[in-house]
Amino acid sequence: MSGRYLLRKGAQALLTIAFILLLNFLLFRMMPGSPDRVLARNMPAAAHQQLQERWGLNKPLIPDQLVAYVTATVQGDLGDSYKFRGQSVVDVLSQRIWPTVLLFGTGELIAVLVGLSLGAYSGWKRGGPVDYVGNGISLILYSMPYFVIGMILLIVFSAGLGLFPTSGMYTIAATYHSPLDQLLDLASHFALPLTTVAIGLIGEYSILMRSSIIETLGEDYITTARAKGLPDGAVLRDHALPNALLPAVTLVAINLGYVIAGAITVEVVFGWPGIGTLTVDALNARDYPILQGIFLLLSVSVVLANFVADLVYGALDPRVRT
Amino acid sequence: MTATSARPADLRAERMAARIRGVQDFVRRFARRRDGLVGVAILVVFGALALAPSLFVGPLQTATTASGTSLQAPGLSHLFGTDELGRDLLNLTVHGTRISMTIGFLATLVTILIGATIGIVAGYLGGTTDTVLMRITDFFLVLPTFVLALILAPIVLDLVGADAEIAGFRATLFVIVLVIGVTSWASTARIIRAQALSVKERAFVARARVIGAGGGHIMLRHILPNVLNLIVANVVLTFAGAILTETVLAFVGLGDPLDPSWGQILNAAEGAGAPGLGAWWYILPPAGSVVLVVLAFTLVGTALDDVLNPRLRTRR
Repeated sequence: MSGRYLLRKGAQALLTIAFILLLNFLLFRMMPGSPDRVLARNMPAAAHQQLQERWGLNKPLIPDQLVAYVTATVQGDLGDSYKFRGQSVVDVLSQRIWPTVLLFGTGELIAVLVGLSLGAYSGWKRGGPVDYVGNGISLILYSMPYFVIGMILLIVFSAGLGLFPTSGMYTIAATYHSPLDQLLDLASHFALPLTTVAIGLIGEYSILMRSSIIETLGEDYITTARAKGLPDGAVLRDHALPNALLPAVTLVAINLGYVIAGAITVEVVFGWPGIGTLTVDALNARDYPILQGIFLLLSVSVVLANFVADLVYGALDPRVRT
Repeated sequence: MTATSARPADLRAERMAARIRGVQDFVRRFARRRDGLVGVAILVVFGALALAPSLFVGPLQTATTASGTSLQAPGLSHLFGTDELGRDLLNLTVHGTRISMTIGFLATLVTILIGATIGIVAGYLGGTTDTVLMRITDFFLVLPTFVLALILAPIVLDLVGADAEIAGFRATLFVIVLVIGVTSWASTARIIRAQALSVKERAFVARARVIGAGGGHIMLRHILPNVLNLIVANVVLTFAGAILTETVLAFVGLGDPLDPSWGQILNAAEGAGAPGLGAWWYILPPAGSVVLVVLAFTLVGTALDDVLNPRLRTRR
């Protein structure tokens, strides 16, 4: 990979993050009910002016306030939560991020493995029974918001069959005799949300992979491989799959932004104590500092994921290394 | 757009005939796609429900006009069962159709309007304008726009105030429309720009410029008609996306309980603990409607893509 490619992609990612910071700054200056405006109603003008001076609110929005905001953000100071009193946004976010990483990391892994294999197989056997049924199911799953999948699973397996708990990460106020007990409790709470995430993503990824492999099968080098008399398995394994995987994997990274939307709702359905439930709680309480922090966290993660995907693509495909 | 210059009448008639032939050809090819027709049929049904919900199920039931008791399972008196307030779910879902489809339609209009304008202007003008506009577009493409919509919606809602009412719809509806539109135009702009770039190099654009046509005229009369097929295909997919986005936004609590969309009904179901209580009838009608409509749009979209895009016709 050439240094120029790396540099260009890196600069793009940095520029995007700078845009995100600017947007975050402007958006939340627009918001109603800022502490400053609330205070202005309840205090004498002189005292209010003094406060404004202390907070730097009398200075111009750009550059002074923007510089102050960016400096604080870069130093890891995202302000304090309204709802969780006495806790900084960074504290709240760092408590909530691990359940989300666990849920979506595992779900993403399962979905990539199953979804890509399923898509590759049904694209390879296009028009066959697996393709027909698989594609139909994928299309329906694709049209279904994740939380609906979760609700259906809850109705069938928790309310109907009573196999799994309905909410949370652990049984409330449970005492465990051994770490194994605790792990089992976690697993029973984890099963349904994980299945929901995996099912939702499998539909998406198998559609991606299916069209990618169909595209690849139309290429001349596949015809060449067949003409050389290679067996079907070798054509698929050595010629079609490696080339079809590349765009599919990139699309997986690009799709991360949409996955996040699903993440938020799945967590709400299962009361999973991650970033998703935090978002909805913060929305209902209009806890703007938290929302601002979540927006920053999620969008920067997506930008970084795209950057990594670009690098992987560049490393694997010599054609884009310019 | 209707005022045409003094063109020979027979030429105009000929163009008209060609256009009608094109439409007939399109209809004939589309009619051969069974999946597309199924999609259209589903959309027609939901369109009818959206246009006159009261005609089918009477006025929207509220907590005071509820016709049943709390969480009744489906039966003869309530085909789809009732919610926790005793409201008939068939009634709610059909009225939800009106809200969801209206938001989907308006949000699509806004999205396409922004996307097509930016795409055509960037593609036609080129140069610095193009660079700047495409930088912004790329930014919106990378950004998790749903999260942006999620924080934008409450801010705008608080600014506007949720109780205002415009044209029989509450203000929340328009805020959601605006937020969806503002956050989802980027891919449309990219696609339209690519086409505009190639259209502007064609001879008729150069001819128009030679006889003194201005930029605005060329973009409106020459570029726009030639990117129209892309816009049509895009409308279908955008509509489906808008309905999904609205459903999720309403589900996380940004909808309006007094103007219940499908997502809002699902939000209420979640709030009432319907999944844990096993009240499947509370979830199935609104969720099924979302899936059916989005699926229908996807089916129509792929069929349209095949019909409008000659390169794809041999594939699949």
